[in-house]
Amino acid sequence: MVDIIRRSPVTFDKRPARVENRHNWNVVTEFADEGEEGPWITDLCHKTRWDVQDGNLMSLNSSDLPIPENYGDCSLSGEMAVNRMNRTQASVWHFSDDAVQMPNQSAYTETTDATVFLALYGKNVFSITEKLTNLDLNGPDKNPPTLVQGPFSHVPCQILVVNKDGEMPGILFTCSRGYARDMVHAVMDAGREFSLKPAGEDRCKQWINQIL
Amino acid sequence: MALTITCPVCGKRDGYEFRYGGEDKGPRPDEEGLTPENWCDYVHMNDCVAGIQKEWWYHRDGCGVWFSTHRDTTTNLEISDSEVK
Amino acid sequence: MMNRLKNLPTLRVNTSEKVSVTYRGKQYEGFKGDTVASLLYANGIRIFGRSLKYHRPRGLYSLDGECSNTCMQIDDIPNERAENIPARDGMNIREQNVKGSAEKDMMGFIDKLDWAMPAGFYYHTMHRPAKMWPVAMKQIRKAAGLGTLNQNFNRHERFDEIFPKTEVCVIGGGPAGMAAALEAADKGVRVILLESRPWLGGFYEYRTSVDESGNFLYSKARTLAEKVEAHPDIRVFKHTFMVGAYNNNLITAFQRGGETESFHERYIEIRAQSVVVATGCIERPLIFENNERPGVMQAGCAHRLCRTYGILPGKAAVFSIGHDTGLEAAVDLFDMGLKIACIADLREDGQDPELLEKVKGRKIPYYPGRVATEALGKKRVTGVKVGTIDGTVEETYTCDLVVASAGFTPVTGPITINQGKLKFDEHTGFFLPSVLPDKTHVAGRINGLGNPASIEASGKLAGLRAAAECGKDLTGEIDEAQGELNDLPGPQRGSKFVTGPVSGRKSYICFDEDTTIKNIKQAIRKGFDVPELIKRYTSAGTGPGQGGIPGHNLPLFTAKFKAEENEKIRPTNQRPPLVPLFLSTYAGTNHDMAKRTPMHDRQKKDGGIFRRLGVWRRARYFSNDFSCRKEIENVRNNVGILDGSTLGKFRIHGPDALKALQRVYISNMEKVKQGRVKYTAMCNDDGCVIDDGVITKLAENDYFFTTSTGRAGSTVEWIRYHTRFDGWDFNLVNLTDALGVINLSGPNSRKVIEKVTDQDISDQALPFSGVKEYTISDDIPVTVMRLGFVGELSYELHVPSSYMESAWDLLLEAGKEFHIKNFGVEAQNVLRMEKGHVILGQESEQRTNLTDINMGFLWYRKKKEAKTVGNVALEQTVNDTGRLKLVGIKMKDPSRAPGDGCVIVDDTRVRGYVCTIRKSFSVEGVIGMALVEQPLAKNGTTVFVYEDECKGNLSEAQVVPMPFYDPEGKRMKA
Repeated sequence: MVDIIRRSPVTFDKRPARVENRHNWNVVTEFADEGEEGPWITDLCHKTRWDVQDGNLMSLNSSDLPIPENYGDCSLSGEMAVNRMNRTQASVWHFSDDAVQMPNQSAYTETTDATVFLALYGKNVFSITEKLTNLDLNGPDKNPPTLVQGPFSHVPCQILVVNKDGEMPGILFTCSRGYARDMVHAVMDAGREFSLKPAGEDRCKQWINQIL
Repeated sequence: MALTITCPVCGKRDGYEFRYGGEDKGPRPDEEGLTPENWCDYVHMNDCVAGIQKEWWYHRDGCGVWFSTHRDTTTNLEISDSEVK
Repeated sequence: MMNRLKNLPTLRVNTSEKVSVTYRGKQYEGFKGDTVASLLYANGIRIFGRSLKYHRPRGLYSLDGECSNTCMQIDDIPNERAENIPARDGMNIREQNVKGSAEKDMMGFIDKLDWAMPAGFYYHTMHRPAKMWPVAMKQIRKAAGLGTLNQNFNRHERFDEIFPKTEVCVIGGGPAGMAAALEAADKGVRVILLESRPWLGGFYEYRTSVDESGNFLYSKARTLAEKVEAHPDIRVFKHTFMVGAYNNNLITAFQRGGETESFHERYIEIRAQSVVVATGCIERPLIFENNERPGVMQAGCAHRLCRTYGILPGKAAVFSIGHDTGLEAAVDLFDMGLKIACIADLREDGQDPELLEKVKGRKIPYYPGRVATEALGKKRVTGVKVGTIDGTVEETYTCDLVVASAGFTPVTGPITINQGKLKFDEHTGFFLPSVLPDKTHVAGRINGLGNPASIEASGKLAGLRAAAECGKDLTGEIDEAQGELNDLPGPQRGSKFVTGPVSGRKSYICFDEDTTIKNIKQAIRKGFDVPELIKRYTSAGTGPGQGGIPGHNLPLFTAKFKAEENEKIRPTNQRPPLVPLFLSTYAGTNHDMAKRTPMHDRQKKDGGIFRRLGVWRRARYFSNDFSCRKEIENVRNNVGILDGSTLGKFRIHGPDALKALQRVYISNMEKVKQGRVKYTAMCNDDGCVIDDGVITKLAENDYFFTTSTGRAGSTVEWIRYHTRFDGWDFNLVNLTDALGVINLSGPNSRKVIEKVTDQDISDQALPFSGVKEYTISDDIPVTVMRLGFVGELSYELHVPSSYMESAWDLLLEAGKEFHIKNFGVEAQNVLRMEKGHVILGQESEQRTNLTDINMGFLWYRKKKEAKTVGNVALEQTVNDTGRLKLVGIKMKDPSRAPGDGCVIVDDTRVRGYVCTIRKSFSVEGVIGMALVEQPLAKNGTTVFVYEDECKGNLSEAQVVPMPFYDPEGKRMKA
């Protein structure tokens, strides 16, 4: 018998402590030895993502899908992040554990499997990112949550700066799924001097809730 | 390496993030009555000005938008619209 | 070990912590904080190596790696600047460019042959007769270079890169730089401060003289440094060398890692809004005979050896200096126990009276208007001749140290490499910046300032100006700071350029390249009479120290020799990198970023041999038999499974989607239907084919299409580019990575799919060119397209990437009884070639258009209003008989295939080339495709293939009809 599993392209060199099966995904909710000190990296590939595109994008704006008016802005809640990419396009990242039903409208495309979705958070996060990109993610002109579209280790990414100050700075980011392993390798390599560790989904949830 | 381009969506970024789209030569000509010479001019001939040039760039590593901007080809510096005569 | 001076407040060595290194197989001890150079010097090593050309002994001269004198081989790495490398336990150090040892170099005799080697002698002696050059070259190559490379050496250190963010970048961590950084940061902008030494402090750092308020300069430096390092908006990079400056103030630098850092060297790239250059000055070498003899050193070098490292540089010294700092060094070193035979000061007047008092008080013989003319001693200094500049008086002194320093030279590299301009200034004797790069400011000694208060005030002003350029309104404060600076002492008068009354045969202007005054004269007489030409002719200033040592003296000597005014003369250009660095440092972290398909690991486990294909890694073979016979035969006879996930996959939707497709695709896209796939191609404006793929309609103005692997990355950009003036409303979604693609091919392929789905997959339900949604194993949504690239019954399954491995496993399990096996990209290549299907890039190159490769059937000409990309050019070439045509060829010799890309020739010229050619297992013989001139394109024509290794014996082939395999297409339509 073949097990029907949805697989994440991300693998960490650490033993999962708790795993939960959710809609065919094996989601690691906690890793062994996560420690209490960040920074951490969490694989969120199993979270549903959509591409929303329309010539009149704001016509799709609703309380279910709050599309920000300005480019680079993000509507962030415990449920989802809606990132305004340009005039016609927004990306939607769901955080919910439940299956999310995509509206049956042509503006929507399911892109969950198109990208790798990662969270990088905890102290020294921006000391790690500055080794990977020349994008100024935590500059004085940035008011999180804010979307930065640009290269990370030379690969185009969507980077959502969730929090830049305080105890728990961090980012969520996506790039083409095919780059998953090399991207994780590059991030882990940059994070080694700061003891970057993989963490399960629980810690990431905690982090987002803490900020909201 | 040192070139910067200002994307209308993402702001000023490193030139590496962009793809050059050539001089601005206006929309595609109508095919009706188009001579081979006119076509060749449109596709292949460039002004190559030493000075300020309007040109196209694509934010490949960013928002994925084509836009035009002005650049001084002698200094390789972008010129803001207000500086363009 | 030599006794060190301990308990000096200025020391940078920790005399309680020992460091031990190996030099020439012997152990030497020093202290933590020592550089390799200071450690060796403290142990009595005076000759560090031999010079490039004449094998002259060389020793410690500056302490900042300004010349190659102390370049050494450290842990197998040649040309390391011993003055900049902190000594670490266990280091293995060797001298360079010696046959024997630095002390006893068997090549030392060459120094006496300098008469035979004038400037540029390689160029004008070694090529006549021409036959001599190869012989001479071998000898010169042997003699050239400094270190030797260990062929088995592997770098194991870590190199990385960092892109720190800032508004203001300050270059130089001396008093001016620190003042600038503090001022700018206090105004609320981020500041990065780069300092090449491992500590901040610059010109103050080792000095025990006092400022107007009576503070020791060294303690002032430390107070400032503490403030700077504690400031939350200042980021300090120490032991960091600035190497480049470019447009828009892009500053590049690299940092040497200490023992606690995670890297060996780190490349730094900073995009600053404004820059402050506070690099100060280096000392200008004094030119006299044997002015680089070990034992001759700069005043700062001698002073810092003592104050920073606790090493008294010699027993008895003669000073020949041209500035007050030299006097200050003499007084301080005298107090520390150095005997001073005399001080020759090339200035007649203008000295600081207070310092003169101190000299007098110590009864040191002092001679204004005199200068060293010749250092004595074969290998190291044993004495020196000192005389008046006009040559009327000359006296000889016995000493083991000559402190020689003509004046100062501002470090202007960071300005000139960013297109700044310099102009000679009579008052300071400096080449001062006359045109600064945009948003760049200079501060401190680089302007000729010497007074501590002035240095700090100028730093403050520059910091304010830099902050103002970052959007801070500081007009009032800038005026105030300017006023404050104006009230302070301005630039100091510099010393005149002076050379002693000597021939200059052994007076070195560039140590790295062994260029003497005599060589410069030779160059000028030959007509190479401006510094840039002299530099190229004599190679002065082209060594590891760049313009450091000769940068100032070369232009000034030229002006003097030609009796020109100094204003007319220009120093030579400097270029990045300003400081030598490893290429590995430039390379930085250098991760190989490439894509993997969802089946990557599985295919690897199955024995896949991977090749990089564009951004992807793909399994090319599944055995070491690169003919792939088994893989091919299994597809032809049973069923094969291929991972085709790298195909580009896109959705286009929106009111103007069809218009956009009509613009970029060459076919009539109105004909694209739901439930069917259409094969079509994209051309560029020259009609040349750039992409092919299939497209199907999902709904009105909603399509799904595939592109070739190589084009996936630029498809969105391409479609948007060619519609950028139209204002059309359509949306593109790149689904390339969202979907894995399984290609299931072979007569048994249908049977395999039947086993994993309950839905109908018969020929009626899904005919050739059909597309349909299926669900396999209840959960996995799959789009199945029926295609025939390899010429068999064949399905392309598009599966969500996360489900890909499960779907693959299901098919493998179902296919076991039908002998399902992997096949790779090469097997597919042969299979499709046998079928006469093209792969763009293989059967086409940049000039190949749609009709050249027999794909004219795709071209719909009646949509002029669509302005289809490529249409105009195709119409213009449609009757052109001068183009290459794609044909099938069969080799006469059935035993072996020539290589892809071999040219097809006749007696006189090239007539085409072979695109793909293989020995076929499906049909007889060696068959392939070739692009040939039209007269050769008729079936039955004999053509000749030329191979590199054929030794003139051409292989014969015949043009034959295609496809070679299953011409009626019965198999793929089965």
